[in-house]
Amino acid sequence: MDMSSPPSTSTRGHILIEDVVKVYDAGGAAVLAVDHCSLEIDPGEICMIVGPSGCGKTTLLNAIAGFHDITSGRIVMDGEVLCSTEKPKSNPGPDRIVVFQNGALFPWKSNLENVIFGPVMQGRLERGEAIDKGRAMLADAGLSGVEHNYPGEMSSGVRRRVEIVRALMNDPRALLLDEPYRALDSLTKSVMHEALLEIYYKNKVTIFFITHDLEEAVFLGHRVVIMTTRPCKPKKTLDVDIPHPRDYSVLTSKRFRELIEETNDAVHEEALKAFQAGEKEG
Amino acid sequence: MASLSLAAVAADDPVAALREAAPFEDASDRFLKRVAALARTSEFGAGARIYAAGDAADDIFVLVSGVVEHTFKPEVGAREPLKRLGRGGVVGWAGLLLGGKTRRLATVRAVEATTVLRIDTEKLVALLESEPTEGPHVMERFATMIQREFTLPSLLAQVRRLSGPLTEEMSSVSLTMYRLSLWLKSPRPYLMLLGFSLFLAAWYLAVEVWKLPRFREMPGITAVVKEWLSRSPTYGLSIYTEEYYQHIAMSVWRIAQAFFFATALGVPMGLLLGWSRVFKEYAFPVFELLRPIPVLAWVPLAIVMFVATESSVVFLAFLASFFTTALNTMLGVESIDESYIRAARCLGANRWQVFRHVIIPGALPFIFTGLQISIGVSWFSLVAAEMVSGQYGLGYVINTSYMMVRYPTIIIGMATLGIVGYTTSALVRIAGDYLMEWRVRELALSDR
Repeated sequence: MDMSSPPSTSTRGHILIEDVVKVYDAGGAAVLAVDHCSLEIDPGEICMIVGPSGCGKTTLLNAIAGFHDITSGRIVMDGEVLCSTEKPKSNPGPDRIVVFQNGALFPWKSNLENVIFGPVMQGRLERGEAIDKGRAMLADAGLSGVEHNYPGEMSSGVRRRVEIVRALMNDPRALLLDEPYRALDSLTKSVMHEALLEIYYKNKVTIFFITHDLEEAVFLGHRVVIMTTRPCKPKKTLDVDIPHPRDYSVLTSKRFRELIEETNDAVHEEALKAFQAGEKEG
Repeated sequence: MASLSLAAVAADDPVAALREAAPFEDASDRFLKRVAALARTSEFGAGARIYAAGDAADDIFVLVSGVVEHTFKPEVGAREPLKRLGRGGVVGWAGLLLGGKTRRLATVRAVEATTVLRIDTEKLVALLESEPTEGPHVMERFATMIQREFTLPSLLAQVRRLSGPLTEEMSSVSLTMYRLSLWLKSPRPYLMLLGFSLFLAAWYLAVEVWKLPRFREMPGITAVVKEWLSRSPTYGLSIYTEEYYQHIAMSVWRIAQAFFFATALGVPMGLLLGWSRVFKEYAFPVFELLRPIPVLAWVPLAIVMFVATESSVVFLAFLASFFTTALNTMLGVESIDESYIRAARCLGANRWQVFRHVIIPGALPFIFTGLQISIGVSWFSLVAAEMVSGQYGLGYVINTSYMMVRYPTIIIGMATLGIVGYTTSALVRIAGDYLMEWRVRELALSDR
């Protein structure tokens, strides 16, 4: 089985971004954040969006998630129009769940309470059933034993993994990750990458992953899309032909290095532009 | 060559190497020599495995030279799953805490040529037990070192196995007891006592010994204490008179009412102000206009509004407290990270569920800070109100004692106010700790 391309078994989680424009009206001065951006993400694909901090990639994610409206264009998921010029803001929902940059586990709920939050709120599962499912999924992710701890007591690595389990409890079509490992040290990060892939191999959910770290992008993704800085639109697309499942030996492989070299210039160029423009990071 | 001689020097002096390990830092030389006598030196080449997770936990290792890589099993819940240790690092302590019957929790590998001192855990425990003063101290330091590795409840469970039976899970009560015992062991209570003693001594000296100009008219501490504890007080008020408790009960009852209404109205008001932008547009300007008006300025209006003095006193105590609570609650709601609200919406929560599961618990830390301030403010306003009107209460005691020139009674009233006020505010804090166990645990971990 060829695992370098997204698994053909997945039929859900197809995301189509068509000609999306987003203009911010910052104090009377219109700022073009996303400029006629089009992108198609296959079901079950890990699509890595790379760009310097503040390039507008989070704006795109917020539009898919339904946190912000778009100015024009449309975003379609599995044939259903999420937002368009006519209906600029979609409703956030459990079919596409965001994992936030700084983590958003509720600190006042135990890890288990966090994990069962989605199904219980939606009324999809009884509390008891949700608890059973939550325990099973935590155990599956190698996290049993943390159920009754509060997130604030855990390392940031464990917190991120619990947050992903919380998302997967809802059986989403897509996970939208907004630089989730940005605040982690590089050693923890490497452990997290393998953990994420392990979870992915079991669930085959579409992953829309924003990062500014090219190595992270090439290591994880089926495809890496490098974005231009403000306004944001695809500059270069790289198909990563390293077969899945991957583990850390990939990092030292020749092909990995080649792919990094191939794209490094494009990334560097945008980083330089962002630096010169002095955009606020975000 | 250089590293070889370094290793040789270090190996020559195991006591010096032990002293660099956190648990032994402040142990005596005599004690460390006894530990060193138990230790054997071992050397590992670069890449060699010292032990693996799952092995029997027999020896404890103290690093003399070199670097090792320490990897916890993921399910342990360590704060730092992967780390490197050099000279002075201590690894392999699992057996020490869990009685030697357990398995290694981590895998340790030498990164470069490494020299270690290995100490048999059981022998070390026997040695610690034979040293009545230094033994428990070193054990405590081991426990402290280990607790830094883990999240709180698991560490507490493990620390407890040292001396007593293991409790399954930390309840709020045992957490409070644990904090209390830590507090008693720390220098803080003794510094507090010292602070009080200095304050009382200064009072005594200023009034009764040096008779300083400004203090001449003040009642001395001996006169006050004598009066306070007297069975037949000169001015009619002491801990043996029924009246004393009537005054306290009256003030406390008024505070209870004022605080109850201030909380019952202030918290919802603040939640609404923070949650609904439209409501804030209507209400906040009025709120901000009324808030700075001092309680004393409300006195005439309160007397006109409430014919009965009793209700007007409670109303005045309520007012300031209400504004404080509402404002803090509003700030609490506004302080909640937008990500939590977005996450809840992503997970399918509706507006009401977000309010119930995110807004209220998220604002709770601010609310309880507000309530602690609010109960202080309500005491402040109450005493002011009792001085103006009312026939009972501690403020009334102070005011009438002033008019009747009963100076010691003034001080008795003031001191009682201090004690009762402090107690009520401590009760609010304890209630907060019970409701926000997550917060308590978080703060405990950040050493605050």
